[in-house]
Amino acid sequence: MPRPRALDNVRVVDFSWVRAGPWATRWLGAFGAEVIKIEWPENERGRLPSTTTPQHLESNLNTSGNFNDTNVNKKSLSLNVRSPKGLEIVKRLIAVSDVVIENFSSRVLRNWGLGYDELRRIKPDVVYVSMSGYGHTGRNHQYTTFGPVAQAVAGLTFLSGLPDQPPAGWGWSYMDDTGGMYGAMCVLTGLYHRNTTGRGQHIDLSQMVASVPLNGPALLDITANGRGSRRPGFPPGNRAHWPGTPLVSNYRGPTVAPHNAYRTHPGGYNDWCVIVCHSDEEWRRLVQVIGTPSWAADERFATVAGRLRHQEDLDALIEAWSVTLGKYELTERCQAAGVRALPVQSAEDRVEYDPQLRHRQMYEALEHPALGAHKVQNAPFILSRTPAENTRPSPLIGQHTREIVEDLLGYSRDDLRAGFADGTFWPAKRARFPYQEEMLQ
Amino acid sequence: MTGAAPPAGPLAGLRVLELADEKGQFCGKLLGDLGADVVKIEPPGGERCRHVGPFLDDVPDPQRSLSFWYYNTSKRSITLDVASADGRALFARLAAKADVVLETFAPGFLAAHGLGYKAMAPDNTGLIMCSLTPFGQTGPWRDYLSADLLHMAAGGEMASCGYDTSDAPDAPPIAPGGGNAWHMGCHYAMMAILAALVHRSVSGEGQYIDASIHEACALTTESAIANYVYRGEVLKRQTGRHHAAGTTPRTQFRASDGNYVCALLGGRLNPRFVRELAELLDGYGMAGDLKDPKYQDQAFVTENTSHIIDDLVANFIASVPAEEAYHAAQQRGFTWGAVRAPEALLDDPHLHDRGFWKQVEHPELGRSFTYPGEVAIYSDSPWRIARRAPLIGEHNLEIFCGELGLSRGELAVLAENGVV
Repeated sequence: MPRPRALDNVRVVDFSWVRAGPWATRWLGAFGAEVIKIEWPENERGRLPSTTTPQHLESNLNTSGNFNDTNVNKKSLSLNVRSPKGLEIVKRLIAVSDVVIENFSSRVLRNWGLGYDELRRIKPDVVYVSMSGYGHTGRNHQYTTFGPVAQAVAGLTFLSGLPDQPPAGWGWSYMDDTGGMYGAMCVLTGLYHRNTTGRGQHIDLSQMVASVPLNGPALLDITANGRGSRRPGFPPGNRAHWPGTPLVSNYRGPTVAPHNAYRTHPGGYNDWCVIVCHSDEEWRRLVQVIGTPSWAADERFATVAGRLRHQEDLDALIEAWSVTLGKYELTERCQAAGVRALPVQSAEDRVEYDPQLRHRQMYEALEHPALGAHKVQNAPFILSRTPAENTRPSPLIGQHTREIVEDLLGYSRDDLRAGFADGTFWPAKRARFPYQEEMLQ
Repeated sequence: MTGAAPPAGPLAGLRVLELADEKGQFCGKLLGDLGADVVKIEPPGGERCRHVGPFLDDVPDPQRSLSFWYYNTSKRSITLDVASADGRALFARLAAKADVVLETFAPGFLAAHGLGYKAMAPDNTGLIMCSLTPFGQTGPWRDYLSADLLHMAAGGEMASCGYDTSDAPDAPPIAPGGGNAWHMGCHYAMMAILAALVHRSVSGEGQYIDASIHEACALTTESAIANYVYRGEVLKRQTGRHHAAGTTPRTQFRASDGNYVCALLGGRLNPRFVRELAELLDGYGMAGDLKDPKYQDQAFVTENTSHIIDDLVANFIASVPAEEAYHAAQQRGFTWGAVRAPEALLDDPHLHDRGFWKQVEHPELGRSFTYPGEVAIYSDSPWRIARRAPLIGEHNLEIFCGELGLSRGELAVLAENGVV
């Protein structure tokens, strides 16, 4: 008997594109849901433009590496939902599905005639999750976001950087990854609620709003203490506190020193490690790892208050030692002695050198018909009974159109051919991929 | 208020036992705010996150940690030394009736005390136990120590965040603040628990979840892994914008009030976009030469990307306050935003329209405070904060005596012996 999957018998109609929505449904697929991605090549966003197509391949709708990693575990139905016939077909699909999810601007689905009232008419207990930039309500609901804009408006960008420098922000769409996580959580809570009460609902998620709580306790420092984040020494880079400024929590945890990034041998772009000492005891252990140098006996460094006050000197002295060691060797020495230290790791470091990620099989190869075999990111958790698994590569665009239209919805081969001819399943004048020709045979 | 019970959250009726520090307390809050009955089991004297600032009115006190308040809404608290013989027995009784146990002890700690999943499952086959730890239950780094900063380093966040060398020549890779390594771990743990709950709602079966914060962080760097896997590229840090293999046009501009604006332009510059941009800038008399028909030629636009971005857009934003640039641009369909400090969010009318900010009573102080609310509005099972973070052992009496049937005398004996 095959192993059960957490979302066996759950079907998801997935209108999402770009990153945040697809990152949500990727996980639903990994849990065993049948995720059907509705796509249209004329206004596709996510497959193109691609900056992750292997150098030896032509960039086209089926060769984006990032799309592949973001869309494993899904099927693809190419369908013009903006045609009356396409709309009718997607309604038949929704009628036999459990979840509808999308990350369009706030009025798009309603304008197509697929607002929640209509979805509910088609499938009374449907779980409908909308993942828009600002949500479906509120005066700015029509505003649009990509991750960086949500992060900026909601305060997260501001929390990253060095004092007296512009914000460093987040070097990627953190809120596409994280918005996707919330999208998946919304679907799962909606399904749990449906399974226990019999009722569906509309869950109106906003990417910008989802960013706000991730500022952490800074928000209560504002509302309870009246202290804002626009103040000297904040944000304090990688430190817990910037020397020479008032001692105030930085919302990352205890205020301690050392707490910083230090250069390591041989001084390349990502040759850095971070070291944190949460107590005098941990500081004394670090001193031993360094070899009990005479400077470490300086009474300025004997107390946490002293170490915080004299961080400039302290950090320079630690770095004079750290540059003599490779980042992995430094990590092993520190951790063996009970000192908190880890290397700064690039993508290459994580995929090739990180022994923990390798042990946990974080990156496993999956064969893709156009891209070949490449490593795909696995789940960061192991469920003992229903593990999340990457069972199939991302779909080629429209790869499963015949299977869905004929086997699931009961249309005939002639219907399929007619739909290709009249522009319902593929733009009539657009060249077809060979696998599309095959499905019309 | 009428007497009718408010509609329940989607997780109403679930009992969660949380034995979690900074690594897992946010996950417990996510569960509790969505309706679960989360009982936080703290060591006698209180969980150590109660000692993390900032503190209310800057008065350090384990009952006044704003950090603890933030991450522990909608929970009840009992104190219990689960490593003691009496504590073990009481925990086993609670776990026998729980739906979810969330724990962040060092790997093997609960099992060593006879409280691991294998010991608990026979008496409660529907139990879902999630261990959320820095590196998971297995592997060479299993017992390594961690911190938010350490996870941001090893997870890959820092390798992608920082400055153009022209902006800050000697800047290190930067770890964004806010405690987001813990948030990432908690998001994935939450997702795993919810998937297990859906499975249980169909099958009746529980299971064990081994979740790793390191892996959660390593998964949260968007295309960095794909750029390496498919093209062998290691991306470079760029001030306030996406990591990239090469240097990309900037997206962060200083406004007239000294605040910054995130204006996404690169990769979007075509004649139609330039026309719309010219209209936006022209409204402020800042269009420069952008209305010239020569910009209706894609090749010309591409050649003049730097002029459009670094001169015209930068000068426009420099001439207006950040909030004005943000709203004026969004109202014309541009995906731009003001780079705000968190305090600016309290005055955001859009958040007020969505009823985002919540007043939460702290009855022991006779005050209420404003907390952030729901990120998603549920039409049939609303999110809510059930109560402020609990005081230390605030619910000992109602759970140990009311629920487990201990007498007050027995509870006193346990307290005297350091068990509760």
